[in-house]
Amino acid sequence: MITVQVEGLAKTFFDEARGAIHAVDGVSFECRAGTIFGLLGANGAGKTTTLRMLATILRPTAGRARVMGHDVVAEPEVVRRSLGFYSASTALYPRLTARETLEFFARVNRYPRERVGARVDELVERFGIDRFESVRVEKLSSGMKQKVSIARTVVHDPPVLVFDEPTVGLDVINALEMQDVIRALRAEGKTIIFSTHVMSEAEKLCDTIVIIHGGRLLASGSLEEHRRATGKHYLEDIFVQYVREGG
Amino acid sequence: MAESPVLILLGRELRSAVRERSIVVNSILIPVFLYPLLLWGLFTALTVVDGLAERARSRVAVHGVPEAHQELLDSLRALPAIELVESTTVEDAERQLRAGELDLVADLEAAGASSPGLAENFRVRLLYDRALERSRRARARAAGVIERYRERWLSRRVEELAIPRAEVVGFRIDPHSVSTGRQLGTLVLSEVLPLFIVVMVALGCFIPAIDTTAGERERSTWETTLILAASRRDVVVAKYLYVTALGFVAGALNVIAMFVTMAPVVAPIVAQTGEDFAFSLPVLAFPVMVLGTFVLALFFAAAMMILAAFARTFKEGQGMVTPVFWLALVPLLFGQGSESTLTPATAAIPVANVAMMLRDAVRGVYQWPLIAETLAVTLGIVVLCLLVARTMLRFEDFLIGAYDGSFWRFLRERTFGRGAASRRRVGRALT
Repeated sequence: MITVQVEGLAKTFFDEARGAIHAVDGVSFECRAGTIFGLLGANGAGKTTTLRMLATILRPTAGRARVMGHDVVAEPEVVRRSLGFYSASTALYPRLTARETLEFFARVNRYPRERVGARVDELVERFGIDRFESVRVEKLSSGMKQKVSIARTVVHDPPVLVFDEPTVGLDVINALEMQDVIRALRAEGKTIIFSTHVMSEAEKLCDTIVIIHGGRLLASGSLEEHRRATGKHYLEDIFVQYVREGG
Repeated sequence: MAESPVLILLGRELRSAVRERSIVVNSILIPVFLYPLLLWGLFTALTVVDGLAERARSRVAVHGVPEAHQELLDSLRALPAIELVESTTVEDAERQLRAGELDLVADLEAAGASSPGLAENFRVRLLYDRALERSRRARARAAGVIERYRERWLSRRVEELAIPRAEVVGFRIDPHSVSTGRQLGTLVLSEVLPLFIVVMVALGCFIPAIDTTAGERERSTWETTLILAASRRDVVVAKYLYVTALGFVAGALNVIAMFVTMAPVVAPIVAQTGEDFAFSLPVLAFPVMVLGTFVLALFFAAAMMILAAFARTFKEGQGMVTPVFWLALVPLLFGQGSESTLTPATAAIPVANVAMMLRDAVRGVYQWPLIAETLAVTLGIVVLCLLVARTMLRFEDFLIGAYDGSFWRFLRERTFGRGAASRRRVGRALT
């Protein structure tokens, strides 16, 4: 089942000094339920801008995107309800406790009111938050915050989950835990859109890898398909070849 | 029934607010404790300063005392607060007074031809430096002694001459205020109350307005809020209601604290001055005050949030909102300390109009058409601010925090800057 459709998506910013900046330039792709879709690119390639358009934080300059059949421009609220968005720029509210945070995100994202308590209990147990559920977020360690952040991303049970560079700043143990969580969510049938510039992560996790550079999509396919197309084995080499050809 | 997103968001804002020390201090503690602490501190300081001044002795030089009035010198010497100082001539004493070596020079002179009925009558010229507190105090002390001596001497003389006392005294000024203690209390309240309500409401809105906008950007929770399944309008409405609520609470708590404080703290202190104060308000003043506090909160919340929303950090937010705080207080100077009431012209001046409406209400003056004008003007400005906010929300680069936290850069780049037309075309935000 196709859950996310992106067609010719573009985003142009204007800067007084530099003029028009084409951050994303006609990107198209599709994502399916129960798969991990990886956006692989260097810093400034346009990954985050693409994901922010999907999350309705930014409005596309051109093209269109649909999440669960809902247009990001025409129905931004419905899109946001169908989406869980995790990134370094979406911090937790520091003065709420872990439990209050989950309850808030469930309620405001329209999770059925009568089931909010049970859903929060389930996630508190699943992510091991019970030890600190009554502690304010500002007093939690980075590892604890990471758990609460993942829980708040999935608390309203959205079919599509966006993880924008989720392992940046995490130590090895926490990064591996994050990867396990993402795999588990895929197993539940969620569509995962995952951006990274770490090749090994993309290799291990993604069912489909899209290589994006300079705002343009250079290639799309599974790791095996990329290997066949380029004749290279390691993703790092595959990536460099696409960038050289595309640049 | 589905929960209102505005209420959920508002609940989150309020819950966070009561856990933030600076918000609790500015919006709750200061309004509650300012009156007792400020007034207690002020009166204590005045009492201490007054006590210290009372202990200092006044250096007084007396010249030209007629033989018949040597008793006056004894009276002056008898007062411990006065120290009689020798000086050779009046001119010399005056020079010493100017040099600060003396506090007062009393120069006595026989009345002579101007008082033919009382041969030993006299006139006193008191030289003092009114720029100096200790000299003014010396004048008051010496004048009291001389006046009492004159009264005693006059009584003796009229007795000797068998003249009725009343004929000698002539007319005397006997001031009698017709105002009651309650009216005096009302006067004090009408001067103090509007000023404090305006300041407290502005202060109550100040930190929350910055915290919920620039503070969110600084904490990286702004984007978290933007990805919630609530419309941008609901987010802004919830934030606006939150800032308004705290501004209103600050104003209301302040009024309550003032009434709780006035009777037990201020009244006994004021009573020591010999004045009779009673603090009470007309019943109708309360709804007018509630209304005034509410529209002030709406106004300050809107004005402060618009500017604070551009800031990227709390510090930038403070820098942008502080001028609004002080500018809003400027109109308060209109009519302060005067007998003026609301007029059609003053009812059109933002903030000042509400302050004057409150002052009138405390005095029991209710000019309903002008109260309506005041509310209409204030609410009109609030609506204008909200329209500006709605327009700003349409700009994506404003939402994502461009423009280096500068309102003026936003205006410049949006209106005249390079790419302004393109910006306007493609920079619309999602709702």
